[in-house]
Amino acid sequence: MNSLAQVVISGLQVGSIYGLMALSFYVIISATGILNFAQGEWMMIAGVLGLSLLGLGVPYPIAVLGSVAGATVLALLSEILIIGPLQRRKASAAITLLALFGIMLVARYGTGILHGRLEDPLPGPAGSHVFMLGHDVFIFSQSLVIYGSTVVIFSGVALFFRRTWLGRSLRVAAIDPLGASLVGVDLNKVRLAAFGIGGLIAAITAWLYAPLYAVGYMTGMIPGIKGFIALFIGGLGNPMGPLVGGLLLGIIEVAASRYLPSIYAQAVAFVLLMLVLFVRPSGLLSGHSST
Amino acid sequence: MKQFSLNWRALFSVCAIALAALPFWGNDYHVTVAVNVCVTLIMTLSLNLVVGHSGQFHLSHVAFFGTAAYASAILSKDFGLSPWLCLIGSMVVTSSLAALIGGPVTRLQGLYLAVATLAFSMLVEVLVKQGGSITGGGYGIQQIPPLYIGSTKVVGKLYYSLALVSLGLTLLLLRNLLKSPFGREIIAVRDHPDGAEASGINPAAIRLLVLVIAAALVAVGGWLHTFYHLILNPELLNPEWTFVWFFMVLVGGIGDNFGVILGTLLLSLIPEFFGFAAGQTIFGIGVLMIVVTLFAPRGLGGLIGGISRGIGVGRNVV
Repeated sequence: MNSLAQVVISGLQVGSIYGLMALSFYVIISATGILNFAQGEWMMIAGVLGLSLLGLGVPYPIAVLGSVAGATVLALLSEILIIGPLQRRKASAAITLLALFGIMLVARYGTGILHGRLEDPLPGPAGSHVFMLGHDVFIFSQSLVIYGSTVVIFSGVALFFRRTWLGRSLRVAAIDPLGASLVGVDLNKVRLAAFGIGGLIAAITAWLYAPLYAVGYMTGMIPGIKGFIALFIGGLGNPMGPLVGGLLLGIIEVAASRYLPSIYAQAVAFVLLMLVLFVRPSGLLSGHSST
Repeated sequence: MKQFSLNWRALFSVCAIALAALPFWGNDYHVTVAVNVCVTLIMTLSLNLVVGHSGQFHLSHVAFFGTAAYASAILSKDFGLSPWLCLIGSMVVTSSLAALIGGPVTRLQGLYLAVATLAFSMLVEVLVKQGGSITGGGYGIQQIPPLYIGSTKVVGKLYYSLALVSLGLTLLLLRNLLKSPFGREIIAVRDHPDGAEASGINPAAIRLLVLVIAAALVAVGGWLHTFYHLILNPELLNPEWTFVWFFMVLVGGIGDNFGVILGTLLLSLIPEFFGFAAGQTIFGIGVLMIVVTLFAPRGLGGLIGGISRGIGVGRNVV
């Protein structure tokens, strides 16, 4: 019974990270139709920047702000310099995909060349305490930060989509790009905003994820992959899709790694994604099950 | 314009044949690079069949390559099958896998197809890396028995000849396939699936068959890789390779086998000339991907066509 409680606690912690990464993909893909592979790399770069700033003796809050701002600016630059011009030229999906993959490689291996191959954890905002809940169930102080931030960020994004003009422009561009441009929504600005918000969410996630794991040039890959898997499991139709997909994936993965041999635990995310795509391609939270 | 591009192709063919002969006067390093380039060419040509000619955006090519390489190694080492028969064994295993995954996947389109096949590629990578004593896990497989002709071990330049013959047969097969009625059906399904269906063609069956044929060609590449190197590293299943091969296809000009050969040669040989480390090479490929998609999205073929039109060469020839 206790091990089940531990699975839920750890699963929600991992799942929140997957959900936030999925949300960062969701903001971009829902408004622009672009699956931005580089999301995991913006997260990684925010972590590496944070490490470097802290290494230079910068105070903690400024290191957080500086690294999040730095990674968000890179995400915006990728749109301004590369994706924007391609979209204005109506480049094919295949060309855009390759450009995104190129951005991902440049971000990942460029950081590898500049920063080196070391991996270190970031200090968490709430320190590294462990609270015991019963005799064999525990929770990290960082997990509480992760749960709280996930609630705040998802609520914030939901409010942004509903209450602000920019958020409504993103939603209307997602539903009908042509109609949106006819009523005065500038699709180029929508795309830039989507890349910026997506980059910002990924960069904030770095400070939630990295204190429990580590930061190095390769550490953006797994959260990036799991984020887009969670996105497609939850579906693209609804901003809560990323949260449901992320939490479900997190709990199933943690349960699989506890009760099954490691080969199944590592394979479960990919099998789950393929099953969802084959049976219900539009995701679990969508209203209909068409391609 | 047509005349010009035809001559350009003839010139390129002569250069390619001369280039293919060079390693026979080279050292072991040159031969290794040449065999690797032959394997990569088989990968990019088969990928072009799926992505270019058939228009299916599959991102699982490297999973078939890894399956073929590991099937060859396991069949020869653990089951004692003759390394020559492993070619057939590996083709059967890889094509069966393609048929298995191709069935459900061909119903998906666009981004969903790309995501599902990418997930499949990552799944195969995990299964091989976690495969324990069967696949050697993270250590891979060593001491694979080599190929023999009679009592002569097939290594070095003899092996390169084998690789060249395999590549030649692949090119011949693709050429005949695309000129056949079946080839026209492939193009018809890509360009106008509804029209093709109205003419009595089953698009799903054509797409599946293309994938199975491509997987059989990939098996030749995987088999060549395994029995040249005689060790397997699970890193060869890294999904990034599919993107790199796809980029080689795109650099040459998608859907055009001449362009694919040109793009593959350029992108495989440039890092060898400069002797980059692996991290730098892949960084450079990333930079090139961005530059090419921004400035030459129709590939080198399109770029050369554009330049010749710009300076008026094309108009004079026509």
